[in-house]
Amino acid sequence: MNLLSDIYSGGINGLREIWANKVRSFLSMSGIILGVAALVSMVGIVQGMLGNMRASFEQSGGILKLEVHSAEAPEAQQHIAGISPGMTWRDIIAVQNAIPLAVYTTPIVDMRYERFIAQGRREGAILHGVSPDYINIGSREMEYGRFVADMDIELKSPVIIIGSHLRDELFPSLDSAVGQQLRLRNQVYTIVGQLAEINSMPGQRSRFNWENRMNYIPATTAMSRYNGNDVVNEIHITADRVEDLPDLIEQIENTLTRTHRGINDFEIRTQEERLLELKKLENSFTFSLGGIAGISLLVGGIGIMNVMLASVSERIREIGVRKAIGARSHDIFIQFLSEAIVISVLGGLVGLVASVGLLSVARNLIPAGESISLVPVSAMFYGFLFSSTIGLLSGIYPALRAARLDPIDALRYE
Amino acid sequence: MSFDSAALVNFATMTESDIIFKLSGLRRTYTVGSEQVHALDGVDLTIQDREFIAVVGTSGSGKSTLMHVLGFMDSPTAGRMEFESKDVTGINGADRADLRASRIGFVFQSFNLLPRLSVVDNVLLPLTYSRSAVSNKRELGMAALERVGMAHRSSHTPNQLSGGERQRVAIARALINQPRLILADEPTGNLDTKNRGLIMELFASLLEEGITLAIVTHDEEVAAYANRRIRMEDGKVVEDSKS
Repeated sequence: MNLLSDIYSGGINGLREIWANKVRSFLSMSGIILGVAALVSMVGIVQGMLGNMRASFEQSGGILKLEVHSAEAPEAQQHIAGISPGMTWRDIIAVQNAIPLAVYTTPIVDMRYERFIAQGRREGAILHGVSPDYINIGSREMEYGRFVADMDIELKSPVIIIGSHLRDELFPSLDSAVGQQLRLRNQVYTIVGQLAEINSMPGQRSRFNWENRMNYIPATTAMSRYNGNDVVNEIHITADRVEDLPDLIEQIENTLTRTHRGINDFEIRTQEERLLELKKLENSFTFSLGGIAGISLLVGGIGIMNVMLASVSERIREIGVRKAIGARSHDIFIQFLSEAIVISVLGGLVGLVASVGLLSVARNLIPAGESISLVPVSAMFYGFLFSSTIGLLSGIYPALRAARLDPIDALRYE
Repeated sequence: MSFDSAALVNFATMTESDIIFKLSGLRRTYTVGSEQVHALDGVDLTIQDREFIAVVGTSGSGKSTLMHVLGFMDSPTAGRMEFESKDVTGINGADRADLRASRIGFVFQSFNLLPRLSVVDNVLLPLTYSRSAVSNKRELGMAALERVGMAHRSSHTPNQLSGGERQRVAIARALINQPRLILADEPTGNLDTKNRGLIMELFASLLEEGITLAIVTHDEEVAAYANRRIRMEDGKVVEDSKS
């Protein structure tokens, strides 16, 4: 008889014992059930939330995007900082003309929160002035119409591209608001495009997707109609390949230093830092949750060991009988170890089912929870593996005690 | 495993292969506190095929220890022990377990059936440990139950049976591996007079089939069924008579 069939018959026997002691077995399983359910659902939730953050990172351009922000000039240049014109439209032209590595370049003219009026309705939303390249940075898509065009920049056209939020609020009866007009600071704008809605999961809407509240007009329109100057708040530039980034950064620095008359009043931010933050967050979540789940599974393992020890002392006579009719110590060891494994494996399976329930609750309760998967496969795999291992380890000592019993003493035991 | 054909040979023509056990100067000493207890104190004994031995003696005389040693549940402290012409004095636990599983059948005073298993599963339990590839387990189990007249109760649990019925099932369990020797420790101790008679007749019929029996008993009536009587006192054989 080989080990596999020993374990198989041990497992059958284990199931019978568990069935014979239902309440006790369930209580001893509960530690493992809770441990696995907690581990899998917590990891699943964190994976979902981090997945959200990753998706939004990718949506905004990913690692290839650079952002140029205004900054205070260095100490040594403070007294002549006034000679710099700051970040202006001229910087955009300079980057576009002088830096071939800059694949896409757009200014962000930040109009912040504006009130939009159409068909007697009013709604607040965010407005940015941008260039045509903006749509190519990140992963926004048009649903209807077009984005800002070169011609709009040239003509400073009174056109606007709206997001799904504004469409919902101002034109609730229309699927496409393209061709409609709206009023903004008492000026009339024609809607030429409508952005596709961003959803983490199709069919479900999150109120927390700020991207859907964004609306865009040509940067030149924004500058001339509102600000009356050519100041831009940010410049977003993307490279084609990660390897190009160091050169691109250097070239941007050179170019802008020239247009800013030698004053270093800007900073170039890479997305690397955000990516590192994201990874750090992932790691800290993984370790802290792993620790908590590990402890709860350990407690579950102690529970199993306790029950198995009780089971051994309850069945000393049975062990004696089995040994008297020919069971080796090894057979008894396998028998009790199999029982511990069966308890932990069953507990693990129930825990996995419970985790699916917990995750579906979490999906409905947590903001932007749609990205939480109901079946986080890797978390389930490791949770199950871990709980089975715990069961195996906690079964060893009781099984050894059973195996070492002397058959004569065991048969005399009352 | 089939019976040795020599088992059917007449007493007068006994040869070396008819000898099951040969004990010489066998001792089993326990240490209780600081005191040495000689449970077996130099036992010389030969057991042959087709013997029905009654081991009698007061409690503490060493008869149970003798049964444990013969049943490979206990090891002698000194002396020599041969089983089927092989020296088994110092064999290890796993080898002793294998001999228990394949060559010896046990019957206990308190039956010792496992309450959670059905009657037939109790009977089949030794096959789990004998490591012999048996394909028709179920039929074997039913045949053994048939032999003791308990086939009609095969799917019951032990708790649903009377004492006499339980002991019959226990005997079927002892028979399942076709042992050469059945050891019984007070097998009728928990039974009434009627059942005692039935069980002893069952043992006597096993003897006719060529199975050797050794029974520990207090009961002179039970001992009367045997064809050899061994009396023990203080760990020594003080009487060994054949009838």
